[in-house]
Amino acid sequence: MDDVEGSDLREGDDGGLNRKKVKKEKRDKDVLPSMIKNKEKRSAVHAKLKHQKKVEKRKRTKARDAEEKRALELGEEPTPRKVPKTIENTREADETVCQPDDDELFAGNDTDEFSSILRQDVTPKVLITTCRFNSTRGPAFISELLSVIPNAHYFKRGTYDLKKIVEYANNKEFTSIVVVHTNRREPDALLIIGLPDGPTAHFKLSNLILRKDIKNHGNPTGHKPELVLNNFTTRIGHRIGRLILSLFPQDPNFRGRRVVTFHNQRDFVFFRHHRYIFETKEDKQAQTKTKAMKDSKGEGISKEKVIARLQECGPRFTLKLISLQHGTFDSKGGEYEWVHKAEMDTSRRRFFL
Amino acid sequence: MPRTTTLECSGCPPLRALTFDVLGLIKVVEARDKPGEGCVPKVVDRWGDPDSSRCVLAASIDDRSSRPLLAVARSSGKIDLMNPLNGQSHAEISIGEDGRNDDDPVVGLHLFRKTRTEKSRSYTIFTCTTKGNAIIQSYEVADSIEEASSSNKWNVCSMGSISFCKVEANEEYAVVGGKGVEISVWNLEKCLRIWNAKSPPKDSLGIFSPTWFTCGTFLCKDDHRKIVAGTNNHQVRLYDISAQRRPVISFDFRETPIKAVGEDLDGHTVYVGNGSGDLASFDMRTGKLVGGFTGKCSGSIRSIVRHPNLPVVASCGLDRYLRLWDVKSRQLLSAVFLKQHLNGVLFDSNFSCEEPTQPAPDPPVQEAHGTTVVTSSDDDEVTETKKRKKVRVDENGDKKGKSRDKSGKSTRKRRGVPKE
Repeated sequence: MDDVEGSDLREGDDGGLNRKKVKKEKRDKDVLPSMIKNKEKRSAVHAKLKHQKKVEKRKRTKARDAEEKRALELGEEPTPRKVPKTIENTREADETVCQPDDDELFAGNDTDEFSSILRQDVTPKVLITTCRFNSTRGPAFISELLSVIPNAHYFKRGTYDLKKIVEYANNKEFTSIVVVHTNRREPDALLIIGLPDGPTAHFKLSNLILRKDIKNHGNPTGHKPELVLNNFTTRIGHRIGRLILSLFPQDPNFRGRRVVTFHNQRDFVFFRHHRYIFETKEDKQAQTKTKAMKDSKGEGISKEKVIARLQECGPRFTLKLISLQHGTFDSKGGEYEWVHKAEMDTSRRRFFL
Repeated sequence: MPRTTTLECSGCPPLRALTFDVLGLIKVVEARDKPGEGCVPKVVDRWGDPDSSRCVLAASIDDRSSRPLLAVARSSGKIDLMNPLNGQSHAEISIGEDGRNDDDPVVGLHLFRKTRTEKSRSYTIFTCTTKGNAIIQSYEVADSIEEASSSNKWNVCSMGSISFCKVEANEEYAVVGGKGVEISVWNLEKCLRIWNAKSPPKDSLGIFSPTWFTCGTFLCKDDHRKIVAGTNNHQVRLYDISAQRRPVISFDFRETPIKAVGEDLDGHTVYVGNGSGDLASFDMRTGKLVGGFTGKCSGSIRSIVRHPNLPVVASCGLDRYLRLWDVKSRQLLSAVFLKQHLNGVLFDSNFSCEEPTQPAPDPPVQEAHGTTVVTSSDDDEVTETKKRKKVRVDENGDKKGKSRDKSGKSTRKRRGVPKE
């Protein structure tokens, strides 16, 4: 760009040289850095281009900020900031996304398998068990799950069939079963079974971080946690959300200030467990202002504002739905409501939850 | 820019389908030709209110060009008779005089076409329950009084539970089978078992797989001797009554239980759907796979129906979609999202889209005579339907000349060309 301006300046005095310059310029523009074979040259050109881009970007940001500031001072409406395009907000249109005015959806919700728990007719009671071989991180994870889910009971798996366990849990009036599957001493799958005839969801479990590996972690209290479920939008997502919801009691102790979050993003469900606290803190802006006022007048009132602070208290993991089966666990004769198949992955912008 | 891939749906020929779901709703899906837009099936009507106790278990349609009738079995033990054109309920009957309970739901329902003639206003219904109680019951309509004129009851199995029951096209024979119940063919006139299957021999390891049929159908329209059945351990079997009691052909299909089989019109092709949403067509002369239907179908298939005239197959199931496929190319023509788990689908073969939709004008409701309505049910909640039915019956019975003529004409007009 600078070269172009230079040539413009020099246009008057030397025509021949100018033409040469223009030609060179043209050639430079056509050649992509990746097409240059000499590595030193290539990296130099690339670095130059990159630097240029960076400078331009900084300029643009500065200009935008200045514009915003000007608008603010003039009391005008600042131009709205552009929203970056992400994979999520450019997601493929899906007709199965639940609409808030859908009466059939609510009628379906009223009669589905979880409605009795969600209406608080039944208090949830969860049986947690494992696969047959279970060691190291498995038991540690389960002990943390027990602290997350109220009214959860751990049972040793032994050599019982899962169908037998389902039968047993039905007799003991459990409302769901959670099975933690470990592979090579690392938990890698989670099975959530709704009882007595609820669906069976099979999740892949990854990125498990236990409480002790989280820096500055807190220790949860025995209060009933609050639940946050994010982005379960489609019909199948809605159902999964309700399945997860039915693991927890529906009357949280707000005094306990405990939150369990299931956040769905691009079909991955992220689990987080926090404690929060409201703290009153002096307003920083107010403080600086009062300082200025103090300087000028020698008096001021310090403003206080309430902020929320979070402390994570493990575990942390990610779930991905593999299948949702109609009825309780039946690997051979089961009917699936949803199974992931390779042919469904036609685009990275197609999500199911 | 995001790359989006949309499923290329070429659209389907004009057709009309009825779907039945677990909330007891009946949805009418119609595809009509519109210039410029192509033919995209849409939900045009919804009958009934969402109520899980009215979950549809089975349905049967008599889609003749005049006076079509639709029978729908609900999980509450009632059978609804309605007009498949506008969803108007004719009658609600409960089969068996003893109040039927929840643990014996209906699995098979058939509305006889043969006995329903133009003149006599009677209809015959065949039902079969999980415990094997088969009933053929005729209802007579005479002078606005509806009564069960004759009924035939028998038991089709002594133990186990029935999971499917199909009546052949000529309505002489029915096939039943289920969990722990070998396939048997029954003569409906005499209520006699004419044939029953024998379980296949133990395999090379000496392992006997327990009998568990999940679905089945007659292979051809005019032959009651060939039966195709799907089992819970993902086997498809062909039985030939005239040949032997063991399956003639038996082959595996994928890994999950077969949940639906549907026969083609050509008499040798069957469509097989399983519990994980795979759909494929097989040639039963050789037992070879013709091809699979691929189209992101993710939930168990509950029902497969071939259109009687057009080269279209419909499938529906737990993924809440009604999917329409081309028979020859096996491509997905269209998919309609219907919000609920679907239990069944039926085609209305007399539909043609030339006329604009206009529900058949109902003749004005007149005051009914002082006759009492007799139905086998005595619930309070059905009084309204009873009343409506009474009026309708009345109008049909008494004013047959006028109103019949009018409505008949309008029906014919709306439905276009009758079946050839």
